[in-house]
Amino acid sequence: MRVWQVAVVLNLTFAVGLGLGYAGWGRRADALDREFEAARAQVERLERERQACAAGGRAGEQQWDGRGVVRAIYPHLVVVTHEEIRGLLPARTTGFPAASPQLGDSVRVGDPVRFSLRGTLIDDAALVTIERW
Amino acid sequence: MVVWGRLLLLVALGSGIVWLLVRTALFEGRAQAALEPRAVLHAVLDTWPGLIWLARHGILVILAAFLAIRSDLTERRDWIAARVEALALGALALALMSASSHAAAISPGTALTVAIDACHLLGTGVWLGGLVALGALLRAASRDADADDRAHAVMAARRFSRVALVAMLALMGSGVLNALAQVENIAALVGTPHGRLLLAKVAVLVPILGLAAVNRRRLLPALPGPEAMRRLVAFVGVEAMLALVLLVLAAAMTLTTPARHAEPVWPLPVRLSLDTPLDGSATRWRALLASQLAVLGAVALIASFFSLRRRAPLLAGALALAAVAAAVGLPPFVVDAYPTTYRRPLRTYHATSIASGSAIYWGQCAACHHGTPADLRSASTSRRHAGELFWLVSHGRPERGMPAFENRLEEAQRWDVINFIRALGTAAGSKSLGAQVQLDGAWLIAPDFTISVGPLAPGALRDYRGRRMVLLVLYTLPGSRARISELARKYNLLSTLGVEIIAVPMQTSADAIRELGASPPVLFPVVTDGNAAIIATYGMFASGPHAELLIDRQGYVRAIWRDDTGEIQVQVGRLNEEKSVPPFPDDHVH
Repeated sequence: MRVWQVAVVLNLTFAVGLGLGYAGWGRRADALDREFEAARAQVERLERERQACAAGGRAGEQQWDGRGVVRAIYPHLVVVTHEEIRGLLPARTTGFPAASPQLGDSVRVGDPVRFSLRGTLIDDAALVTIERW
Repeated sequence: MVVWGRLLLLVALGSGIVWLLVRTALFEGRAQAALEPRAVLHAVLDTWPGLIWLARHGILVILAAFLAIRSDLTERRDWIAARVEALALGALALALMSASSHAAAISPGTALTVAIDACHLLGTGVWLGGLVALGALLRAASRDADADDRAHAVMAARRFSRVALVAMLALMGSGVLNALAQVENIAALVGTPHGRLLLAKVAVLVPILGLAAVNRRRLLPALPGPEAMRRLVAFVGVEAMLALVLLVLAAAMTLTTPARHAEPVWPLPVRLSLDTPLDGSATRWRALLASQLAVLGAVALIASFFSLRRRAPLLAGALALAAVAAAVGLPPFVVDAYPTTYRRPLRTYHATSIASGSAIYWGQCAACHHGTPADLRSASTSRRHAGELFWLVSHGRPERGMPAFENRLEEAQRWDVINFIRALGTAAGSKSLGAQVQLDGAWLIAPDFTISVGPLAPGALRDYRGRRMVLLVLYTLPGSRARISELARKYNLLSTLGVEIIAVPMQTSADAIRELGASPPVLFPVVTDGNAAIIATYGMFASGPHAELLIDRQGYVRAIWRDDTGEIQVQVGRLNEEKSVPPFPDDHVH
C-alpha cells in the first residue's frame, strides 16, 4: 500500500471513529442525561402525587410543600413570601388561593409558616394546610 | 530525521506516561496512588485533563504507528502525504494540550483563549521543532565537503527563516494575548511567580530575537560562505539552547497559579499613580515639557525607521529624549508603594464588613483621624489603593506616631476598616446626590447587604443586579407609616416598572412585618434581621429617621431622598430611559 493511501485510510478511520464514537457514546450520553432528568422529575412528581393521595387529594393532583412568611390574609387568598417551592415556583411573594376560608384564621401577617399546596398545576394549586413554623 | 522523529515520539509517549502517574499521585493526594491501576484509570477516565491526555496520547500512538511504516517516498504524492499526515497528527496532539491548560479555565470566552493558547503552542512547535532540525542539518552540512549537501542546507535555512518569522509573529501575538488573559495587569506581572516567569521568558526571548535578526540579515545572505555557515551553526545552536530554556520556563508556568488568581507582592518602594492631581504651576510645566519631549522622541523613533543611514543616531536620540521626558515628567506621578499595594481585599464591600469596620474605626482610629489634618475622608486617602491602606493600617506610620495594628486586629478586621474608610470617603461625595437622577452619572457603589425576611433563606442586594432596580427604604415607625402605606399601594406599578422595594426598619425586629399592619397589605421584602449593618452603612449616605435610596440595575445609588416625599416614579422613568449602562461594580474596593 502506498503512503498516501495509508494516510487517507488513517484519516478516514480517525474521522469514522470520531463519528461513531459520538454517535454511539456521545449521543447516548446526552440521551441518558435527558432521560435521567426526566426520570428524576417523574419520581418527584409521583412523590408529590403520593403525598396528595395520602392527604385525600383527587387522582392526578400533586402536593407541594413550602416555607414562607405571611404577608396578607384574605378569606380566599393568602399572600406568602416563600422560599423556592421545588417543582413549582422560585423564591418570591405569591398569593395562593385558600382551599377553605378558615385556613387563614390560624396565622397572622408576619408569621413564619410551613404550608402545603395541592393541585395539578400552578394555575389550580390551592393552599390546603398552613401552620406557624 | 525519521529516526529522530521516532525517538522523540517515544520520549513524548514515555514522558506523557510519567506525567500521568505524577498527576494521579497529586490528584489522589498520595504517592503510592501512581502505581495503582484503579487510581490511574480513575484519573484518566473521570477527569477532564485525563480525557485530554487520553486523546493526545491516542493521536501520538497513531503518529508512532505511521512513522514506523518503512515506505517508499519516491513518488511526490507519497512524499507530501507522509509529511502532511505527520504534521497534522503532531499539530493536533500539541494543540490539544490547550484544552486542559490554564487557558481552558478562563470563563467567559473559553473557546477564544483556548484557540489563542493552541496558536501559541503550534507557533512554538513549528519554530522550535524546525530550529533543532535545522541546527542538526547545518551542522552535518558544515562538516560535509559535498557541495550538494551544503546547497540543500542553505535552501532549508532560507525557507525556515521565512516560516520561522511567521511562527514567531504568531507566537508573540498569541503570547501577548495569553498574557493579557492570564496576567491582566502590571502588578500581577511583577508581583506573582507566574508573572515573573513570564518576564523571565521575555528576557530569554530578547537575545533569541537578536540572534534571529543577525541570522536573517547578516548570515543568510552570506551563505554558503564557510565563515557564515560556521557562525550560523553556532548561532542556531545557541538559539536552540535558549529556546529549551524558554520551554522549561513555560513548563514552570503551567505549575504555578495563574497571575490573575495569585496575590501580587509589589516588589518596588514606589509606583506610578495617574490619579495624582497636577497641583501647582511647576508640576503642570513639568508635565507639559515632558509630553513635548516624548512627542519629539516618538518623531525621532518613527524617522529612524525611514532613514537607513541615520538610523543609529536617530534611535539613540529617541531613547535619550524618552529618558529625559521620563526624568522630567514622571517624578510628580511617583508615589510610595508597599508589598501589599495591589493585594485584593479579603472582605467584599458588604454592609456587614463596613459596619464592623465602623465600630473599629470609632473605637480605635477616630481620635486621631476624624476632623484632624490626618482625616481619612481626604482626597489623598481616597486616591490610595486599598492594599496601601492595608499596609499602613497593619504596619502603622511610626514617623507620624501611628501604631501598627497587625497584632491588635485580625486581617479580616483590618480589611473591614478599609471598607469603612472607602464608604466614609464616598459618603462625603454622596451629599451631592439628591432627589434627581443624573443621567450617565453612576458612581456611588451600593454596598451589598443581606436581605433576611423572617427565618427564610436570606437573599442579597446583588441578587437584583442586572435584573431590577431597588428602592431601599430606611424607615422608622410611626413616622414612616403613611409613606410605607403609599409605597405598598404603588408596589404593583413600581414592580411593573422594574423596581423592587426593600424596606429596612431602623430598629431590628422579628415582628417588623406585623408592625406594618395588614391594611394596606405590604408585600415587598421587609428586613427582619441584620438591620444594624444596613443602617450603619446606608445611614452614612442618608441619615435621619426616614430615607430612601434608588439603586439602579447595575448596583449604583442614583438618587437619595432624605425624607418621605420622593417622586419615585419619575426618577425610575429617567433610569429606564438611560441608554448607556455602566459596568457592574467590583465586589471589592480598590
